Amino acid sequence: MASTVSRGHGANAVSGGFVLRAEGLHKAFGGQIILSGTSVALRAGEIVLLRGENGSGKTTLLNILTGYLRPDVGQIFVNGGSAGGSFTFPRRWWETISPFAQFTPGRMTRAGVSRTWQDIRLFPSQTLLDNVAVAVPNQQGERPSRLLLRPLGAARQEARVRDVAGSALARVGLSGYVNASADRVSLGQAKRAAFVRAVETGARILLLDEPLAGLDDNGVSDILSVLSDLAKTRGLTLVIVEHLFNIPRVLDLATAVWTLRDGLVAVEEPKAVRERMKVEVGHGLSEWLRRSSGLASTAETQRLRGGGAISFFSKAGLEPGEVVLEVDGLLVSRRGRAIMGDQGPDGQLRGLSFKLRRGEIAVLEAQNAWGKTTLLESLVGVLPVTRGRIVLDGIDVTRLEPWARASLGLSMLQSRRNVFDDLTVRESFQVAKVETIPDGLEAFSSRRVSNLSGGEKQRVALACALGMRRLRVALLDEPFSAFDRASMIAAVAQTERSLGDAAVLIAVPAGWAPTQRKERL
Amino acid sequence: MNYVLHLSIYLGIYCIAALSLNIIVGYCGLLTMAHAAYFAIGSYVYAITTTRFLWTPLQAASMAVGASVVLSVVVSLAPRRFKRDSFVLISLAVQVIVFSVIANWFEPMTPPGTLRNLTNGPFGISGVLRPSIFGISLEPLARFAALAVGAALVFAVVLHFLLNSPWGRLLKASRDDELVARGLGKNVDLARIQAFAFACGSVAFAGALYASYVGYIDPSTASLDHSILMLSLVIVGGTGNIRGPLAGAAVLLLLPEALRTARIDDAVAASVRLLIFGVLLVVMMHLRPQGLLGEYRVR
Repeated sequence: MASTVSRGHGANAVSGGFVLRAEGLHKAFGGQIILSGTSVALRAGEIVLLRGENGSGKTTLLNILTGYLRPDVGQIFVNGGSAGGSFTFPRRWWETISPFAQFTPGRMTRAGVSRTWQDIRLFPSQTLLDNVAVAVPNQQGERPSRLLLRPLGAARQEARVRDVAGSALARVGLSGYVNASADRVSLGQAKRAAFVRAVETGARILLLDEPLAGLDDNGVSDILSVLSDLAKTRGLTLVIVEHLFNIPRVLDLATAVWTLRDGLVAVEEPKAVRERMKVEVGHGLSEWLRRSSGLASTAETQRLRGGGAISFFSKAGLEPGEVVLEVDGLLVSRRGRAIMGDQGPDGQLRGLSFKLRRGEIAVLEAQNAWGKTTLLESLVGVLPVTRGRIVLDGIDVTRLEPWARASLGLSMLQSRRNVFDDLTVRESFQVAKVETIPDGLEAFSSRRVSNLSGGEKQRVALACALGMRRLRVALLDEPFSAFDRASMIAAVAQTERSLGDAAVLIAVPAGWAPTQRKERL
Repeated sequence: MNYVLHLSIYLGIYCIAALSLNIIVGYCGLLTMAHAAYFAIGSYVYAITTTRFLWTPLQAASMAVGASVVLSVVVSLAPRRFKRDSFVLISLAVQVIVFSVIANWFEPMTPPGTLRNLTNGPFGISGVLRPSIFGISLEPLARFAALAVGAALVFAVVLHFLLNSPWGRLLKASRDDELVARGLGKNVDLARIQAFAFACGSVAFAGALYASYVGYIDPSTASLDHSILMLSLVIVGGTGNIRGPLAGAAVLLLLPEALRTARIDDAVAASVRLLIFGVLLVVMMHLRPQGLLGEYRVR
């Protein structure tokens, strides 16, 4: 195949008015074909929603368009002025060693194509200001020789860079956090800083990997308004990868939808997709759970301290059994401040109390930073509790080690980093003592977990949490965020199957589970 | 008084060594076992060029720094492909190779500093004189102490300036998440090569100071134990800032001296010192894994 690297005007000519275009992309991993001749074209100012089933290749396509992954075959054109160019694959040997023909993330960034990550990936040891300032290109101060020989020039430029970074952070409402360490800010603040960092590389095209994941209702609205504002003021072209329940929110913003199916991209109108999504998603997780399964139509809801709520569902015709998990006055605090629980009007710290019965699914929804993960981690024994009692099957487990709680039938699915990448799927199930492998996962059993897609990994992790021998209570932290519709149906069916002897507690961000409620006392 | 001056000279030399190692460990996030090798290259190049070729101290020190920088650039191309554990092994290989070359480039009855007997092997090179700079002899201990402590102070100030600049920020970003830093369009490899060159050149200068102070060097300057001592200074003191390595050098160099006053029987004193040193390291790892004053925890 002919291989070229054209630069500047040559690239403009071939890209035909598009800012980024890819043609005939093929990509396979270990014999599994992910992309088979995919072509996409992006016009300036477009906001594209990229969606697709789990394993359809969304992340693969995003990685290819940003230079993190090379396609096996295909062409990519970037219209990025002198830094733009076209890349033809497979690469000739001299192109792989020539510094001018490299297809790398850095090269794509210099051509104006930048990205954000699902897990945000700010530099944790640095302040938000430094996180953004480091992204500014062509800094004299990054060359030690310049620093030592022309310190004043470098200092003046650094002052300008810090000004730019500070005002960029202020524009997204982070003016009070410029000197906050990146590992100490909230999820929403970190996401906003990550957008700013990507934009300050000089990006004209920004690809966002699940920017709404893990956010509550207010957080989603904030992020969408920030994105819409950035797109307008900076003239950005956006490609947003999102999953099932967040897609309707992105559709409010999107001008086009790319749907990946069978290795190809179909371009659709947002309006048509929205109509279909109404049928698929309805009004949030609770309604979806109810409709897609035999769960009772109305949930009982218990208000929790600090603004959280637990909705209890049970299967129609199946009365909940005995109490399997009792949480009584549970409080987790650090240095006298409640990080789960709340402070009463008298200044006293007050803990959480609720009961979970066999055969119930409890959906815990609360705002970000309420302490959902803290609650689940303290129940499973990873975090020490300050006060209160956790009773599992009549046994007080408050002071037991995590492994001892697990042996009594308590399991947990963490919201991220919940699989062992280096194991095969079969080995993962063996480690988790899963006796029966759920339908649809046998096909993966000999594959390494690191080679699975995000959704497939999540299915394996869920199966490990729910498939434990003598399961009594499964705690699931945002289990559905990476799922498509088919995976959701499979996951809910799997959750229901485990209800015979056990109960399930699912934590989701607030705004995911609006439903009809009656109060449980 | 001479004892205090002697300690100040050692402290000055090892502060430069610890601060330079901190660039690699604390700012690049890479654990190296080869720092003593670069220290020894500095010592040997300085010793050979001054004793055999009668170069001036400035010429000899520049050559010592240059030789170390060149080797570091060649070796630091490795981190591009080798990460974490495998980088430690690469640095260990460099350490072993340099030590072997120094210990074995030797032929009896041939003057040291020649091609047949470059390093004089296990017998080392003696007769390295204390330098005169701009006509001022550094033979008196107080003047040499002023040079060593002054050099360490100047080095700390320059390093503080460099590491608090955009270059330091870039190194820290690359250490925290290399892939993201590359994705921001940054030349991570170049920044690391610069950091390695600067660190290895600086420790070679410390080596040259050491050779000219002691007057005699042998292969033990390039030993693995010496590298581990330097690494201990940084890990005990803490990495990721300037204060940590300085604190580490002060504690670990002055602790054995403080123990001298404890009137321990000479026969067991060395063992007791090692025991205390070992216990201190274990306690530190449990209670303060980031070191006394460190910001970054080496993984």
